[in-house]
Amino acid sequence: MSLSRLTWPLGVTAGALVVWEAAVAALGIKAVVLPRPSAIAAVVLERWPLLLEHLWPTFYQILLGFVLSVVGGFVMAVLLVYSERIRKGVLPLIVTSQIVPKVAVAPLLVVWFGTGDLSRLLLAFLIAFFPIVINTVVGLTSVDDDYIKMARAFMGTRWQIFAKIRLPHALPLIFGGMKISITLAVIGIVVAEFVAAQRGIGYLIVMANGLLDTPLMMAAIAVLSAMGLALYGLVVALERIVVYWHVPAETTAGGTP
Amino acid sequence: MAPVPDSVEIERVCKTYASGLQALRDVTFRVAPGEFVSLLGPSGCGKSTLLLLLAGLLPVSSGSMRIDTTVVTAPRPDVGMVFQSAVLLPWRTVLDNVLLPVELLRLPRRAHEERARELLAMAGIEDFAARLPHELSGGMKQRVAICRALVLRPRLLLMDEPFSALDALTRDRMALELLRLWERLRPTVVFVTHAIREAVFVSDRVLVMSPRPGTIGFETEVKLPRPRGLSIQESEEFNRYAGSLRRAIEAEEVV
Repeated sequence: MSLSRLTWPLGVTAGALVVWEAAVAALGIKAVVLPRPSAIAAVVLERWPLLLEHLWPTFYQILLGFVLSVVGGFVMAVLLVYSERIRKGVLPLIVTSQIVPKVAVAPLLVVWFGTGDLSRLLLAFLIAFFPIVINTVVGLTSVDDDYIKMARAFMGTRWQIFAKIRLPHALPLIFGGMKISITLAVIGIVVAEFVAAQRGIGYLIVMANGLLDTPLMMAAIAVLSAMGLALYGLVVALERIVVYWHVPAETTAGGTP
Repeated sequence: MAPVPDSVEIERVCKTYASGLQALRDVTFRVAPGEFVSLLGPSGCGKSTLLLLLAGLLPVSSGSMRIDTTVVTAPRPDVGMVFQSAVLLPWRTVLDNVLLPVELLRLPRRAHEERARELLAMAGIEDFAARLPHELSGGMKQRVAICRALVLRPRLLLMDEPFSALDALTRDRMALELLRLWERLRPTVVFVTHAIREAVFVSDRVLVMSPRPGTIGFETEVKLPRPRGLSIQESEEFNRYAGSLRRAIEAEEVV
């Protein structure tokens, strides 16, 4: 990415921060309601060890939940594409499960699976696997029929048609799903940490809230956002390497967490 | 010496789709080894269906279809196919696209790479071997598709309106280059087209198909000398062939 392409978006963000800073000072808003950005930055620096201690468990659980979603979603998509029985029996269940607000299920998961990592990973998985399933199914099944005919004419087997044609064809779409999924995994883990956790950024936010320590709360949100952005960037970087023949669109669904 | 058996023998072939649509009725023809035969007809006359049957991609409803005396039941490695669009895999380089049939049959790549490069050179695109398809023009893509169809040295080459997506000038050039390739490699060719002049230009024999259901109504042997250059299209003889084919198609359509 060139410098000039970064200048404008960074400029707008910097401008917004300046307006924020000035407005808080001019209107005399209390720090407990809305701290100044500079105060939040100071807290991030001062209490970095504390933030890092809570950032780490959140980070690895998001990553783990995301990987679980990608692997699980992919396997499920392949089963849905290749087995009519599974498609007819399971797809309605999967779709219905997406109607249920999963955030509402979080306390139930804690009852069933305890307050450990497992219930958090499950919530992240439940929220984040769906875009992978849908995008992979669309990717695997949207291959133009001419390609399949061509591969069959040249003696390709079912497995070869999957591995050499359907799968590479689906990759750009799978990465589209992954970009949505990574942001949903962040939501899943943090919400689960709200419900029951002794560590993690979600826990820190709830704790700071209880102490009416708004600057710490917003510092936690800031580092969480930065981490989410970094994870999203990681997926985009991976996409550029894997899907080398495909120019990804500028705007992608999902946005940043 | 016994006569050489025909490369393609089609006997009273009918094809009715599951929907009840009868695509072909009683199609009978033969193609001699090394012969270049065109199936000419309007869209919907079943000529592409006939090619899919020959490729072993669809079963016949009745009648028999043989390639080199064996009944066609499935795709065969000694038949190459070129489609209307190039259908190149966008993530593979030109060379890897040409080598796809080698890979699908799990044949050693190294033994065929030289052949693939030779074909690309014959098609005049050897400099593009390492490029991805999206960097190529339409004509170049179709050349790659032809190289891919020829990489396993097929005895029979099936071509389904291979130049119909190209502009008129590129189309003429491609037909000429196809003839050059054919003269060097001499596979048997069944070439499907709806362009009369293209059919006359490339073929030894043109079969005219009429639609609904598809049958062969008229056939003519093109006795123009080879090798043919584009200027042959201006000759009186060429235009006589084109005229008689046009009249045959018009006569079929009235019925």
